[in-house]
Amino acid sequence: MSESIVPESELEEVELYHAKSWWTEKVFTQDAKLIAVQYGLTAFAIGFVALVLSWFMRIQIAFPELSIISEGTYYQFITMHGMIMVVYLLTALFLGAFGNYLIPLMVGARDMVFPYLNMVSYWTYLVAVLVLFVSFFTPGGPTGAGWTLYPPQAILGGTPGQESGIILMLVSLCIFIVGFTMGGLNYVITILQARTRGMTLMRMPLTVWGIFTATVLALFAFPALFVSAVMMLFDKLLMTSFFMPALVEFGENLTYGGGSPILFQHLFWFFGHPEVYIVALPAFGIVSDLISVHARKNIFGFRMMVWAIVGIGALSFIVWAHHMYVSGMNPYFGFFFATTTLIIAVPTALKVYNWVLTLWKGNIHLTIPMLFCLAFIVTFLNGGLTGLFLGNVVVDVPLSDTYFVVAHFHMVMGIAPVLVILGAIYHWFPLITGRMLHDGMGRFHFWVTFIGSYLIYFPMHYLGFIGVPRRYYEMGQTEALYTSSAADLNVFITLAALAVGFAQLVFVFNVFWSAKKGIVAEKNPWKAASLEWQTPDQPPVHGNFGKELPVIYRWAYDYSVPGAEDDFIPQDVPNEKVKLAKGHSQLGVEST
Amino acid sequence: MSIFSTLSQKPWMADQALVDNEHMGKSMTLSLRKATLFLLLIVIAILFTLFSVAYIGRMAYGDWRTLPEPLLLWWNTAIMVFSSFSFYRANVNADHNNIKKTRIYLLVSGALTISFIVGQLFVWRELISFGYFVSTNPSYGFFYLLTALHILHLLGGLIAWLVVTLKSFTLKNDPVNFALKVNLCAIYWHFLLIVWAFLFVMLLLT
Repeated sequence: MSESIVPESELEEVELYHAKSWWTEKVFTQDAKLIAVQYGLTAFAIGFVALVLSWFMRIQIAFPELSIISEGTYYQFITMHGMIMVVYLLTALFLGAFGNYLIPLMVGARDMVFPYLNMVSYWTYLVAVLVLFVSFFTPGGPTGAGWTLYPPQAILGGTPGQESGIILMLVSLCIFIVGFTMGGLNYVITILQARTRGMTLMRMPLTVWGIFTATVLALFAFPALFVSAVMMLFDKLLMTSFFMPALVEFGENLTYGGGSPILFQHLFWFFGHPEVYIVALPAFGIVSDLISVHARKNIFGFRMMVWAIVGIGALSFIVWAHHMYVSGMNPYFGFFFATTTLIIAVPTALKVYNWVLTLWKGNIHLTIPMLFCLAFIVTFLNGGLTGLFLGNVVVDVPLSDTYFVVAHFHMVMGIAPVLVILGAIYHWFPLITGRMLHDGMGRFHFWVTFIGSYLIYFPMHYLGFIGVPRRYYEMGQTEALYTSSAADLNVFITLAALAVGFAQLVFVFNVFWSAKKGIVAEKNPWKAASLEWQTPDQPPVHGNFGKELPVIYRWAYDYSVPGAEDDFIPQDVPNEKVKLAKGHSQLGVEST
Repeated sequence: MSIFSTLSQKPWMADQALVDNEHMGKSMTLSLRKATLFLLLIVIAILFTLFSVAYIGRMAYGDWRTLPEPLLLWWNTAIMVFSSFSFYRANVNADHNNIKKTRIYLLVSGALTISFIVGQLFVWRELISFGYFVSTNPSYGFFYLLTALHILHLLGGLIAWLVVTLKSFTLKNDPVNFALKVNLCAIYWHFLLIVWAFLFVMLLLT
């Protein structure tokens, strides 16, 4: 890569898109900011469906005597809840919504480099969501194969939704991947090639680093899901035997034979584990920026934070088989994956230390975004530590099919990233809408979500330890398997889950109410140094930066710089224009 | 500047700031379109690699049968080579601003590509006539799957080819942009030739 030898004329390569009608301005828009909002609303809409599914599941588990849903429906809801939350909500939100909104603004570009492709990316995503959603209304309903869609059972009779649900799921995933690839190319090239003057890679905020690395991971990992989805579609529709072994179903020999279900598992998890970091890395980046802004302190160990993001991204491709210990494997193979799994904890732990050290002696403002960040740190730490348990083969094998695993992955890649998303929305809502979210409702939302989440998932670890199996529709009356204390705990967890669900309704109301009637936000209300807050207009208008693109003079973390009057210096302010504090004749240049 | 020296920069230091202030905002000297194409090619290469890994993984099981090798595949391969070569000539002529010759080579490339696709469909017909259906054996399944995927990528390329070829008829000025588009198409075709060569060798060897 070459830096600082680029001819100036090459920077003016992108022409700004101008809408010619209401439809092309508001609906089929090519403005990344509006596309981000479209991504966000669509992801939240389908995510809300997944949330409601979880309420039904929880009520069923706590009160099986009500039989609120049937066995088949329970599996369908599990499957759809998992897949929607992981792919259609979290991935789309972090990369499609936050990526689109923040990348151009944070790197100083007027828009994504290919706005038309960006628009097509969103509409392709919407089609993928609709195809998936339609499966609720087709004969047999959505697939109940579990979110991992393991063959052979995923496409066999007896599995709910094997008529059409599984086909729609696989087709929807393929469409999603095609749509994401269009967006992903845009994000990466915009970051590499369309930054404003002075914006070196190492001056980019960690949010952009997180989104950038996650996008690269997604571009490299999603093809594995595509391959497995296409091959399974062939098995289902054209009766090939890529994954399907010889089978007898209801006393009849099926035409399948010789296929390898384990091959599917390898392909799926080669996508599946990087997917964890596709969700986590943007969250790491965002939380770093939020902590720095709301603690009025530069991020501790900035370079290490970048290295950790890149290192975790690289390592995430060589840990996938730790999801397959129970499938059986050569012990050396298991040893290798257990080792890599433990190694990946090193850069991850480093990030946690750096967040805590950023808070150390910081001027901590307990704003709602900061509360969510603090909640994230402890939740991620919790979920991460149980990940270390499960990374070891001998611990994983007995725990794998219990609620311990449900608790682990919900803590680490369910609640933790969602806490960041919520904190990020409270943080950037004034930029997006020009108004503040209601503080009282926000604090109610935070405390119920945070404490409620712990009340849901902490007891689940205990359920796992005593061997309560996951995936069961009904536990039955066997006292040895399912004690009365476990049954009572499940009732408690369900009540907590419903309370947390209710808090999300308050949040949704807050978003729509505040967008219309919230207090008008002052310019740069959090006094942030990064570029997205330095636009001439708030919310930023089309083209982002007025007539001239900004020039960058510093990194994104100049907070509480000695000698400066304000406790932050925006990235586009040169040293000569920084107001000095009384008694200071010079700006102190601090290093960490 | 290497990625390692970039990652070792200390952006908060005053002396580093003086260097960074001169930075023009790009990490590579490539044009936007070319950089995007290269990234896309990497993604496509990963896709085909993963299919190949699945292919080799599935081969290990006992029911695998060796693929037949219709002679037509050799002819199709030759057509694909000529198509790619024709794109190379189109690229050279576009660089020299010789629009007329560029157009001729573009048309030849397109015709050869369509011939390749039709040729592949004939191979399918031949296999089916022998009773080698997609579900007969995983090796046949993979053959249909991989060739179909390759054809799909060519069809995507043909959309870009159509746009560029039509442009060659109406071109008034902006030859630089036109030459770039021809260049991008040529790179894509060379890449798909390499992919086909890789698949063909893999199919021949197994």
